[in-house]
Amino acid sequence: MGRTFKRLLLLAAVLCTSIVLVACGTKTDNTNGASQTNTDGKKKLIVGTDATYAPMEYMDAKGNIVGIDIDIVNAIAEAAGFEVEYKNYGWEPLFPALDNEEIDFAVSSITIDEERKQSFDFSDPYFIANQLILVQESSDVASFNDLKDKKVSVQINTTGHKAVKKLLGKTNKNIVAAETMPLAISEMINGNADAAVGDNAVVIEYKVNNPKVKLKTVEDDSFEKEYYGLMVKKGNQEIVDLLNDGIKKIKENGKLKEITGFDVE
Amino acid sequence: MEFLGLRIEMFENIWSYRELFIRGIWVTLALTAVGYVGGFILGLFVGLGKLSKRKWIYYPAKYYVDFFRGTPLLVQILLIHTALIPSMFGHSLGFFVSGSVALMLNSAAYNAEIIRAGIQSIDKGQMEAARSLGMPHNTAMKLIILPQAFRRMIPPLGNELIALLKDSSLVTVIAASDLLYAGKVVAGAYSRFWEPYLTVAILYLILTFIFGKFITYIENRFSNSYVPSSRRSISSNRRSRIGGDNQ
Repeated sequence: MGRTFKRLLLLAAVLCTSIVLVACGTKTDNTNGASQTNTDGKKKLIVGTDATYAPMEYMDAKGNIVGIDIDIVNAIAEAAGFEVEYKNYGWEPLFPALDNEEIDFAVSSITIDEERKQSFDFSDPYFIANQLILVQESSDVASFNDLKDKKVSVQINTTGHKAVKKLLGKTNKNIVAAETMPLAISEMINGNADAAVGDNAVVIEYKVNNPKVKLKTVEDDSFEKEYYGLMVKKGNQEIVDLLNDGIKKIKENGKLKEITGFDVE
Repeated sequence: MEFLGLRIEMFENIWSYRELFIRGIWVTLALTAVGYVGGFILGLFVGLGKLSKRKWIYYPAKYYVDFFRGTPLLVQILLIHTALIPSMFGHSLGFFVSGSVALMLNSAAYNAEIIRAGIQSIDKGQMEAARSLGMPHNTAMKLIILPQAFRRMIPPLGNELIALLKDSSLVTVIAASDLLYAGKVVAGAYSRFWEPYLTVAILYLILTFIFGKFITYIENRFSNSYVPSSRRSISSNRRSRIGGDNQ
């Protein structure tokens, strides 16, 4: 048995060494962020997103990144006088990409919350989102509390997932956390869950795209209102100010309301 | 408290999710077990089918292997879970059925090739000798060819088991609460990725390590080939003069 133990120790040593090497390799000294200055003097900012969240941000048939969020950022950029270039990172890599200054800010329907504020800075809110419950037409679910003893599908690690974790307990078996919102909804349609919970924009988009599927949405005032913000590396006040300036301008000139259909206070 | 960019206090957060990790380990093991056993039995039939001289047996087996080796497992999982099973039964049967069926069908294709190659690696003379002693073809297969072939199949079949254990992490995509899923949930809850994924990696490593030990044991159990004495796990009665431990 002694030899086996020695081998395990060796394995652990190899692991630790590789971690040290990796950790050392990621230290970069780049104080300017990812932005470049163009020839005409306009700043060009690199924007990261996870383009799998129609209608907020998604890829169109030509592979361009489009959506409500993208329209808003374009308007902000125009108002504040900078240029933008979008890069599709996927959800999880967005966070380290900000830290490593590969991107200047992230737009991806990111809810401003206390936990995220500890690690990142946010612009002023530019969008209000609500959680909606989506159920089969025959279902008797009338409020969020009715889901207590039911199976609920959500998109993994979204605000909906957070709310459901609070209601059912964070390691509850009855939470079905799928990779994307459409998948979460299909889990519900195929009978793996009694209800799906997600952002209003995405849930409504699904209903528009799938008119034949017999579903109904249930609203519940107990869901906290959420504010989306643009996420910036902690301490990068320069970019935060620039973005807030743009957001203030499009709130004043009515451009934001034109895109989203409501005012954000 | 930071150590190499790892936040030590994150591990307390991970500990508070231990239920998910423990369930994840069981789900991963169960998916692997069901997928592997089913895949072995199905693979045996498909593998023998690929050796058949009859066209209506050979071609289906061939196309089966071509399809499941020629498409990504992730695509197969999504196809089976979101399309095939709901359209066959009218509703989904849950992630476990879809996941284990996908792993089973995929693993069967690889096992079929291992079994076919194992049988074909036995010298033609073995069959000829058995036949000339008056054995029927099937008996010769059962008593002479398959036992010898099986011994040669053990290492690649062992590889397949470990590959399947690792590939089972792909079922996370259909919201199966396997080991990787636990890591993803914790990572998302705190927007920290270092610690949860490292924990998951180490847990997978422990599982593959145990499986590896098991496979080595099986190999030694069935092998009659020369194994260097330092690697021999069956204790020999020769004690080395230095008194080193014989594992």
